[in-house]
Amino acid sequence: MRAHAQFEAGTHEPLMRVAGLSKRYAQRRPLTRAPFTISAFEDVNLTICRGTTLAIVGESGAGKSTLAKCMALLEKPTAGEIRFEGENLLELNRKALFPVRRAIQLIFQDPTSALNPRLTAEEIIAEPLAIQKISTKDGRRMRAQELMEQVGLPARSACKRPLEFSGGQRQRLAIARALALEPKLLILDEALSSLDLLNQQMILKLLADLRAAHSLTYIHISHDLRMVSEFADEVAVMSRRRIVEHKPAAELFACPEHPDTKALLAAMPSLESICLRRLA
Amino acid sequence: MKARRKLWAALILLAAFHGLILFAGFFAPYGFAVQDRDMPFAPPTRLHFTDARDRFHLRPFVYGLKDDPANPGAYAADTTQAYSLRFFVQGSPYKIAGIFETHLHFIGVSGDNRLFLMGTDGYGRDQLSRFLYGGQISLLAGLLAAALSVLLGILVGSLAGFYGGWIDELLMRGSEIFLALPWLYLLFAVRAALPLQIAEWQVFLLLVAVMGLIGWARPARLIRGVVLSAKERKFVLAARGFGASDAHLLLKHVLPQTYGVILTQIALLIPQYVLAEVTLSFLGLGVGEPMASWGTLLSSLQQYYILSSYWWMFLPALLLIPLFLAYYTTADALQERFKSVSL
Amino acid sequence: MRYIGRRIIHAVLLLLAVSFFSFLLLQLAPGDFFDAMRLNPQISQQTIQSIRSEYGLDKPLPIRYEHWLRSMLKGDLGYSLASNSPVAPLLRVRARNTLLLSGTATLLAWMLALPIGVWSAAKRGGWGDRIGNIATSAILTVPDLLLFLGLLLLAVRTGWFPTGGMISPGIDGADFWSEAKDIAFHLVLPALGLAVVMLPVLARHVRSATIEALESPFIRAARGHGIPRARLLFRYALPAASNPLISLFGFSVATMLSTSMLAEVILSWPGLGPLLIESIFSRDVYVVIAVVMLSSVFLVMGNLLADLLLFASDPRIRTGGE
Repeated sequence: MRAHAQFEAGTHEPLMRVAGLSKRYAQRRPLTRAPFTISAFEDVNLTICRGTTLAIVGESGAGKSTLAKCMALLEKPTAGEIRFEGENLLELNRKALFPVRRAIQLIFQDPTSALNPRLTAEEIIAEPLAIQKISTKDGRRMRAQELMEQVGLPARSACKRPLEFSGGQRQRLAIARALALEPKLLILDEALSSLDLLNQQMILKLLADLRAAHSLTYIHISHDLRMVSEFADEVAVMSRRRIVEHKPAAELFACPEHPDTKALLAAMPSLESICLRRLA
Repeated sequence: MKARRKLWAALILLAAFHGLILFAGFFAPYGFAVQDRDMPFAPPTRLHFTDARDRFHLRPFVYGLKDDPANPGAYAADTTQAYSLRFFVQGSPYKIAGIFETHLHFIGVSGDNRLFLMGTDGYGRDQLSRFLYGGQISLLAGLLAAALSVLLGILVGSLAGFYGGWIDELLMRGSEIFLALPWLYLLFAVRAALPLQIAEWQVFLLLVAVMGLIGWARPARLIRGVVLSAKERKFVLAARGFGASDAHLLLKHVLPQTYGVILTQIALLIPQYVLAEVTLSFLGLGVGEPMASWGTLLSSLQQYYILSSYWWMFLPALLLIPLFLAYYTTADALQERFKSVSL
Repeated sequence: MRYIGRRIIHAVLLLLAVSFFSFLLLQLAPGDFFDAMRLNPQISQQTIQSIRSEYGLDKPLPIRYEHWLRSMLKGDLGYSLASNSPVAPLLRVRARNTLLLSGTATLLAWMLALPIGVWSAAKRGGWGDRIGNIATSAILTVPDLLLFLGLLLLAVRTGWFPTGGMISPGIDGADFWSEAKDIAFHLVLPALGLAVVMLPVLARHVRSATIEALESPFIRAARGHGIPRARLLFRYALPAASNPLISLFGFSVATMLSTSMLAEVILSWPGLGPLLIESIFSRDVYVVIAVVMLSSVFLVMGNLLADLLLFASDPRIRTGGE
């Protein structure tokens, strides 16, 4: 599952560059009504190159999900800029942003809540095409069925509703939907956390295959370092609302620098430590 | 399942009721304004199957009525005149949907006699016919007003819930004003604002409009509640990520979540509005004579001697009970069904 | 304390908005009191005009509203053109009667609803509960109109109760107790009717609130301590269920006012209801607005009272703020 290098030789322009991104919320204390701010993340700087898989790790609640949503343009950060293929997306108005949305898609942690239970699988996958006004109704249906096959879902389940699928299949459905618009960047917000190990492996394999077939770039948000170590090219560690370390995966695991990184790695159970604990 | 059966029974009853009233012209033996001054306050005609000579007839028949010599003002059956009940008779003309004129009635008696299955009122008008025609007014008013209220509720509730912020504040404060007025008082007050003598259909439309405009507050709040939670769902967010417009989000994802609430509210509001119309007409503030509305049928009961002597004048009110029961049962069943579906 | 202040301000603002709204509504009336006069050829236009300006009916809207509001706050509710007397005293008597009726009916309804609801909750699923359910459903489907007419019929047929009015002729001037007894006698039918109409909704809510309270952990603990059933129900479960019930009380004030109007008209109880109807027929504008405003005031007061009761009884509200 090891990642491979970039495809488009000669492209040195990074796909996405995030600079100084922050998200703050203005709140008031319950009784005194004094204002104060909470920050989800501060001064995040990232560079994502085409064809790579970046993993953003950290403890739960470190603001990773909010960061993912901001990068997927589902939430507005309070400061900073997001440059995609050179353009600053945060400066675009709604109309200008419309076509760009095709390029960046987000896969949510819980596939069940991310899929409208009233719609059939086909309708779910076809929806983004309908919104972006691509093709005709029949054309969309055919495309939906193509995509279902690509993610490994049987074509005859096109008329089924999300609840009739298993957890792993629902996530596949979500992936198929995300692929409908032929995105360049796929952000996965703890997309594997709700699945069992077997499904995790299967989905990871699927993602690897898809990446090869569609020239995708991935950003994985995860708190599971062990899983990350299997597929990530680069790892960014998020701690206390900031990115504290950002290195190629091999380097990070071999020689972590930041104390928080070291703490995370230490907490990761390895085979030896499990055995040792059981013997003790 | 017992609940299922109850729902079906209720729906069938509703369909039957509404069907009869929709085709009032066909099912009513007479027009609603037809008077028979010789027969004021005649009791409901009794149907007989065996005649004075103890012969059984398959087709029921009725006796003519004549004044009872022993009891001044009351009627006795005149056994010398027997008229059989007939179906699909030719009677007074009426128009279907206001266009096609026909003479065909479902039921009637042969000969010159009259059939009063629900008795007559002070002007000798057949109460059954007036009940059916009256239903057209009262039920239609209830249905239209309920539809109006719910439509307004959907509009307000979805806008307030979806956009939040000052729109929400403004709309909810507005709804509070409507909820702060006892609805019947408000209804009467608005009725007071209208001239007392205006064309019937104008009264009707204004009544419907007023009732509908008063009652939007509660459905709006309920729908707003559902919209508030529905818009936070991840699949709505996902659709945003595809560039969906607000309209698309509302129509395809958020509003479908409100169908349960909407249907239940309609089923609850219809009887309420029918009753409001009946109350208004009962007090003389709704549609006026000779137009029949269930309220006007009942208004004569305010006079004591009618109240205590002519029991059949109560029938329109009694018939409301199964109608309301059917609507409430439907509302209950809808609530049950949609409670389990929402995730 | 701030919470109470906020609720009061909220109520006042609401009433202000309602007052403007009702005033506006009545100004839209295409006809007015003088329609009949206008049709009379013997009364000249000038006479009508001068009467109108005397009553201030020809000034622009905002001025009339301000005028009206100001005098209303001073206690002057305008002049009843139909009965040729100031509105305020007329209203006072009628309002008192309506409050008497509504208050008694509310008391009666709650006095019945509480035990019925609590008992149904305790014997949940059993015979008593099911009978209670059927009975409340039955009452719910009977239109109020029919119920009140039925009571009137009872009075007319049996003569056990007076068929209307509040006082028997000739009682006036007698000592306080006989007057009170007479009024109470007249009060029975309308109050009973109203209470029965309100009963099902109240009983059902009491039942569900009690059930919820009974299932809460601290009640289970109390049961585990061996506290006897009745005490458990009334001293522990009911107070715990009081939050939704107090809100219900505030809400029931609204429906109570609307329903009592019908009762007053049918059973000839001299309250605000019949007054409203009469004034609509005679197009007595000031009376109509005054009655609507007053009913709204009662409603808002009722809700405010419920809010305050809630505040007093539920500690969560005191510490949580909004």
